[in-house]
Amino acid sequence: MSVVKAKIATRRAFGERVLQRGADDPNFVVFESDLGKSSQSNLFGDAYPDRYFNLGIAELNTLAAAAGMAAGGRTVFVAGYSVFLTMRALEAVRSFICYPKLNVKLYASHGGLTAAIDGVTHQGSEDIAFMTSIPNMKVLVPADSVSARAACDLALATPGPVFVRLMRDPLCEFYPEGETFRIGGSKTVRAGKDITIASYGDIVFQALEAAESLAAIGIEAEVIDMYSLKPADTASVMESIGRTGALLVAENHQKRNGLGYELAAAVLKNHPVPFDNLGLDDCFAESGNYFAMIDKFGFSGVKIAAAARRLIAAKREKTLMDFQPARESIRQ
Amino acid sequence: MVAEKAEERIDELRGVAREIRFQIVDMVHEAQSGHISPGFSAADIMAALYFELMRIDPKNPSAPERDRFVLSKGHACPVLYATLALRGYFPVEELKTLRRLGTRLQGHPVAGYLPGVDATTGSLGMGASQSLGIALEARLTGKQYDVWALLGDGELNEGLIWETAAAAAKYKLGNLVFIVDRNGLQTDGSCEVVMPMEPIDKKFAAFNWHVLKMDGHNMPEILATLRAAREFRTGPVCVIAKTIKGKGVGFMENSLEWHSKPPNDEQYAKAVAELRGGQA
Repeated sequence: MSVVKAKIATRRAFGERVLQRGADDPNFVVFESDLGKSSQSNLFGDAYPDRYFNLGIAELNTLAAAAGMAAGGRTVFVAGYSVFLTMRALEAVRSFICYPKLNVKLYASHGGLTAAIDGVTHQGSEDIAFMTSIPNMKVLVPADSVSARAACDLALATPGPVFVRLMRDPLCEFYPEGETFRIGGSKTVRAGKDITIASYGDIVFQALEAAESLAAIGIEAEVIDMYSLKPADTASVMESIGRTGALLVAENHQKRNGLGYELAAAVLKNHPVPFDNLGLDDCFAESGNYFAMIDKFGFSGVKIAAAARRLIAAKREKTLMDFQPARESIRQ
Repeated sequence: MVAEKAEERIDELRGVAREIRFQIVDMVHEAQSGHISPGFSAADIMAALYFELMRIDPKNPSAPERDRFVLSKGHACPVLYATLALRGYFPVEELKTLRRLGTRLQGHPVAGYLPGVDATTGSLGMGASQSLGIALEARLTGKQYDVWALLGDGELNEGLIWETAAAAAKYKLGNLVFIVDRNGLQTDGSCEVVMPMEPIDKKFAAFNWHVLKMDGHNMPEILATLRAAREFRTGPVCVIAKTIKGKGVGFMENSLEWHSKPPNDEQYAKAVAELRGGQA
């Protein structure tokens, strides 16, 4: 498998798949809050206007009304920006979609800092924390267009609520057509023996870049794409760290209550190894170029490689990582 | 003869409303927790809906074409539970399990726990919005059911109500009726002091809803108004029901104290004597 530049963003791939599936599945509908173009849900809306509901700039009503529509079993996709779907309408998602376990599928564009240029108000940098905290919710983050299309199919095939985090801009393509994915699965996208790097979504490509640069200095990093964040495939991570003896998690999200925290708890319970996690360190990001941003906030390929080297040193010296206070320099 | 029959039916419905009120006091006394007076203000409306107007079959509570009811003021659920039990959805004795661990009668109503509960509610505004989705579902599928949502007047403070109102008018949902239980009191005090919402009728009218008003304790007027609401089919209808919080038990009427207070044994006996003895 090789990484090539993507022509379309995962939001587009997901939107195209929703449109395709609309032809063979006449039953599902799409709700959105006047972000049809931005989420690309308008592809479906243009083809199936009777099954497409723009509830206006009113996310809470969009989600709660979707719950009403889904009450009899119907599947409803709700498209929008991750930050608005997960925060403005969080209570509707928790109490009226997840609690009754309705077939509402959140189609969340602009996840994490993939909306970097738009600034903090449009960045869903806590979306995974909110969504993984709610019982009955399943959470998927596809990295490329093949996995984004698969995420759409998994969302449709899986009873109950599913949250799919998508990206604003085209990044990379990685998986071959026909690759299979499952709820609760993961993919080892590069094999290695010295350290395990777990990531998801856009940061998988940064992890692969880091692994490439580590290989040049003789370090073999294993990279796992945790595309299913809930349920997460912790068994595969445990199996991997059983061989590598160190775990680094990198994510486009707050460190707090992200994949790093999830895996740290699992590692501590089952198989303590030197561990570190990279992500937003209890701070807000800012407006700017995506690549500059993920580097500044500490989860670019370069930063992942540096953290991996520190971890491997700790592993060799048989010490755990030193406690490092939060980096004041990048705090707001 | 016809008039006599109608009068008889009105008396029966008044009796049902009294029985609903009795069951509310009984279950909240038993549980020592729950909301009495927000249910009392709606008891006559609930009797009219479930015993006269709604097209429902308690033996087939999931029938696709059944009319739906959403208790958007979910805290008043003892009134819904009492009504459903008396109508035959589940045994009346089960009302005694209100709020107990393992009960189907949760502190606020949960769809799927109990036959006849069409929506999970309790967080104000959310039921109204779900009723919009349920009504849209009928529009999409061509099903002929109507959706009734009972809202509190304090609930109108929620911005979500007005998002819902705009959307229901956009889709011209002639199968959706809101009934606003205008009892004038919310948790911290008088509605018009806490957050003035008047003119409520003009607000809904401005959102392109058809607005009707009624005395929510006058059974003939309730029946006539709600029937008129169902004759209007070109858009959503809002019925503003003037009611008395705590209606039916003198010492609970228009009292903030009884919003969510359970009665002690003495108060329970006094309330039951009034409900069993006289006209509520």
